[in-house]
Amino acid sequence: MRVSGSREIGFYIGAAVTAGFAVMAAVSAFWTPYDPALLSIADKLQPPSLHHWCGTDQLGRDVLSMIMAGARNSVGVALLSVVIGVFIGVPLGLLAAARRGAVDELVMRGNDLIFAFPSLLLAILITAVFGPGAVNAIIAIGIFNIPVFARVTRGGALQLWTRDYILAARVAGKGAARISFEHVLPNLIGLLAVQGAIQFSLGIIAEAGLSYVGLGAQPPVPSWGRMLNDAQTLTVLAPSLALYPGIAILLFVLGLNLLGDGLRRRRERPQ
Amino acid sequence: MMRSLTSRGALLFAALLMASGAPAAGRIIIGMQLEPPVLDPTANPAAAISEIVYGNVFEGLVQFAADGSALPKLAAAWDISDDGLTYVFHLRPKVRFHDGSPFDASAAKFSLDRALAPDSVNPQRSRLAKIRSVEIVDPYTLRIRLERRSGGLLESLAWGAFVMVSPSSAAANATHPVGTGPFRFTRWRRGDSVTLARNPDYWGDRALLDEATFKFISDPTAAYAALMAADVDAFSNYPAPESFPQFAADRRFEVFAGTTEMETVLALNHRVAPLGNILVRRAISFALDRRAIIDGAMYGFATPIGSHFPPRNPAYVDLTGVYPHDAARAKALLAQAGYPNGFSATLKLPPPSYARRSGEIIAAQLAEAGIHVSIENLEWAQWLDQVFARHDFDMSIVGHAEPMDYDIYARDDYYFGYSSAEFKALVAELDDTLDPARRRDLLQKIQRKLADDAVNGFLFQYPRLDVWNARLRGIGFDNVLGVVDLSHASDDRSGAAYASGATGAERPASGSETSGPGARWQPLRFLGEISSAAALILCVLISRRFGGAYLAGRVAVLAATALAATAVVFVIVQLAPGDPVRYMMGMQADADAMTAMRHQLGLDIAPLQRYVHWVGGMLHGDFGRSFTYGIPVSELLAERLQVSLPLASYALLLTIALAFPIGLLSAARRGRASDALLMGATQLGLALPNFWLGMLLAMLFAIRLHWVSAGGFPGWHAGFAAGVKALTLPALALAMPQAAILARVLRGSLVDTLHEDYIRTARAKGAGEWQVLRRHALPNALIPVLTIMGMQFSFLLAGGVIIENVFFLPGLGRLVFQAIGQRDLIVVQSVVVVLVIAVVTVAFLVDLSYVLVNPRLRAARGA
Repeated sequence: MRVSGSREIGFYIGAAVTAGFAVMAAVSAFWTPYDPALLSIADKLQPPSLHHWCGTDQLGRDVLSMIMAGARNSVGVALLSVVIGVFIGVPLGLLAAARRGAVDELVMRGNDLIFAFPSLLLAILITAVFGPGAVNAIIAIGIFNIPVFARVTRGGALQLWTRDYILAARVAGKGAARISFEHVLPNLIGLLAVQGAIQFSLGIIAEAGLSYVGLGAQPPVPSWGRMLNDAQTLTVLAPSLALYPGIAILLFVLGLNLLGDGLRRRRERPQ
Repeated sequence: MMRSLTSRGALLFAALLMASGAPAAGRIIIGMQLEPPVLDPTANPAAAISEIVYGNVFEGLVQFAADGSALPKLAAAWDISDDGLTYVFHLRPKVRFHDGSPFDASAAKFSLDRALAPDSVNPQRSRLAKIRSVEIVDPYTLRIRLERRSGGLLESLAWGAFVMVSPSSAAANATHPVGTGPFRFTRWRRGDSVTLARNPDYWGDRALLDEATFKFISDPTAAYAALMAADVDAFSNYPAPESFPQFAADRRFEVFAGTTEMETVLALNHRVAPLGNILVRRAISFALDRRAIIDGAMYGFATPIGSHFPPRNPAYVDLTGVYPHDAARAKALLAQAGYPNGFSATLKLPPPSYARRSGEIIAAQLAEAGIHVSIENLEWAQWLDQVFARHDFDMSIVGHAEPMDYDIYARDDYYFGYSSAEFKALVAELDDTLDPARRRDLLQKIQRKLADDAVNGFLFQYPRLDVWNARLRGIGFDNVLGVVDLSHASDDRSGAAYASGATGAERPASGSETSGPGARWQPLRFLGEISSAAALILCVLISRRFGGAYLAGRVAVLAATALAATAVVFVIVQLAPGDPVRYMMGMQADADAMTAMRHQLGLDIAPLQRYVHWVGGMLHGDFGRSFTYGIPVSELLAERLQVSLPLASYALLLTIALAFPIGLLSAARRGRASDALLMGATQLGLALPNFWLGMLLAMLFAIRLHWVSAGGFPGWHAGFAAGVKALTLPALALAMPQAAILARVLRGSLVDTLHEDYIRTARAKGAGEWQVLRRHALPNALIPVLTIMGMQFSFLLAGGVIIENVFFLPGLGRLVFQAIGQRDLIVVQSVVVVLVIAVVTVAFLVDLSYVLVNPRLRAARGA
């Protein structure tokens, strides 16, 4: 029981960190210490001070404000790409489980096809072809969430279809579509929440990677990945510029992972 | 025990380093940012070509002096007739090309006629448009007759585009340049470097260096790191002005800060409504604060300009005061022009950092005057297509690198669309004027006219920054064309000091290199044969065990997936905007040359036919020919796999080496504090973005501690140890997050297995905890671990794109990334498909491996 106690702590820490970043992202929509797009060349590369808690970057922008606004960009991209995965993947998974046979085979082979692509490479291809920017980054990342959610949903649904209450519903004459949405889906919410947290955290890292190579959100919208790229040539003059965005990514992803783990444990605990 | 092992390892490592040998002195490595697309300056305008070959490999009749005037080179002297219509050149005797053919008047006539031919792709052809004929007077005398007088003919002949080439080898100059210069071309490793060696038969003073390698490092940070880690001895056109002062203050380095012929401008499209209005353009000029732009984007290293003309030219007039920074006047002018509330516009930026950085600053400055600019970052291919070719833009920022290129303002179809009869008259008059004083007067009028019309926002003259190791002497950077002059360069390094340096071992050893491109890493030559044999054996094995039907079914699924992948990739790539031909031919190309090129690349065929051709070719191992490099894609693949395959394997090895001890220990101590600690550490590992980890590792081990080089790959011919050393940091950065995943999977799987009955039996028989884990639990827990490892290998093979960029490794990922940027479609398609096939094959093998372990699964899988 010692173990589950410490796991619970992980869950709460994860929830707190995630909530912290969510609040930061929300607040940044209305208020940041400075305008994150405001240049002040005269104040460039200042060390942390009371005025600028995290210092300023090479164009004199306030780093803390950029981190806050960057959180909004990260959350937005990762969240919407999960939404794409859920809205397309979950119905596909339900369909595959309900119909089985050829439909199932088709959905699963389609999944295999997407899984066969090196995800980062295809995301780079998509954003490079359709133009860099937050929207295309969302699509590129979202495409890879589709088979993940389809597979998880199908797996969970297949098990549920053998349960007695589903059998009862079938006997009562309910159609497969209705059963899927009324009885199967509600019982998969926990499973999907766990997967959602995992895909969300992967989305944060993927978005940072795309922005790092210049294919994510475009300036002046701040993004953590681009901040890291900008900081790379300044590693000697201002090494701390390479630290803040990296630490932000690390903490946020860590928080989400702890949250996801905690959610899974809660689900798996015998009721 | 642990300690003695590590020290033994260190000894072995040191021994391997020594074995790779100390190279001879007199070979230097020069970094530069851009790789040239070809090496023939007479066929392509890319500045990177001349940067390497001008004066080193190729020589012209005349050569530019530092001040832009023409000096004798292959022509020892010349006479100009009084009417200025006949030039007689007296050629140097006893000059031979590198291929042994003689240089004489017929070779010179061949070179110029080739440049002037109607089907010539020479980028500067129009500069010699007034030549009527080129005649051979005697073997060492050449006469050029002109239609009309041409004031700048001698200077034009000094251009890289008009170097002398040999009739016997000119056709192959794109990949194997042959000139008369003090250096011969030896090798081009695409994506990595070009190497030149001393020409022992040079007609003039022989070069002091044995060999010079130009290494391509596109990332500014990597450039910095390469200099600091002594991976390169010099960097031509150093791209990171922010760290330049640091080199200037460091006694180990010499620096040169000069200017170039590149005017950087905020280009305005005169064809769109507000910007065609001179009041609006003047308002924009008032809104710009050049000082802030230069400080912010160039860290102070640039000279402000007020017109399109280089400050170092004697005819320069300082016009930076015409529009001083004044947001209020800008607003007033906008109101006068009918835009009291400003307007909105797009600013399309090409990739170089000067453009991207200036763009952010200019957007903020224009916003103060009420002009709302939205930035769009484009790749070069997209920029050339949208901005340069189709004029689909409002504003852009770009540097115009050609010397004396004021004439672009006299072309109506040029991308910014300035059209002024008055200006054209000035240019025409200048062209017809020989008198120096009158020419200077006209040049000043030209500058004033451009400033007065505020044609573009004139920003700054781009600086030339070079950094080199203080040991190097006589290396020349101060010249009009921005080329690296190696003819008098030498290296002071004593052999002993060099051999003892940590980086010495990374230099290629002299003996193994002479064989040139033929000397491939041997095992890869037989990669195809080996893998076919392995596949055959596997097929026999499987069909004997499970029956042919099972195998056929699985292979059919595999093939269908691969085929579907080719279709997906082909469609995506076809949708890519940006014309590959436009990208290859650059800003100077004319329509006929582009049509010819399109035909040559097979791009004029219908897409469906092209797709069938491509897939059909791949079935028998023909992946097509790279648009950019002109060599078979399979050759590029083989070159890049030499980096990517070892990197992925190394990273997987590190992953296993890290994950197994952690997973085992954690499972053995499950539920205790050490388990919680280890699992906490893996949580941290999971959350680390690998490129950030790579940055941190490079900062620590390369830049601070100088233990390893900050990036680059010396090639396997430099020795196994050198190769492994170069791959260590990237492999570690890739491995750590993967190790965290694998350790967690292993622990989970072990803990599950530990609940099984047979474990209880083993325990009852008195087996100790470690024995139970190792002998009984581990073998059974390996199946999920194997699955994950298979997926990880695929991920590592393809997922190194970003890491390869951080450490500038010439691997597959970087090849694709570059190919996307260059619109080298065939390379993009083929590499992605090869990676997809690798992924599905690995998954298939992993699948088979557990069917082999547990035949019960066959029925379940087959169903």
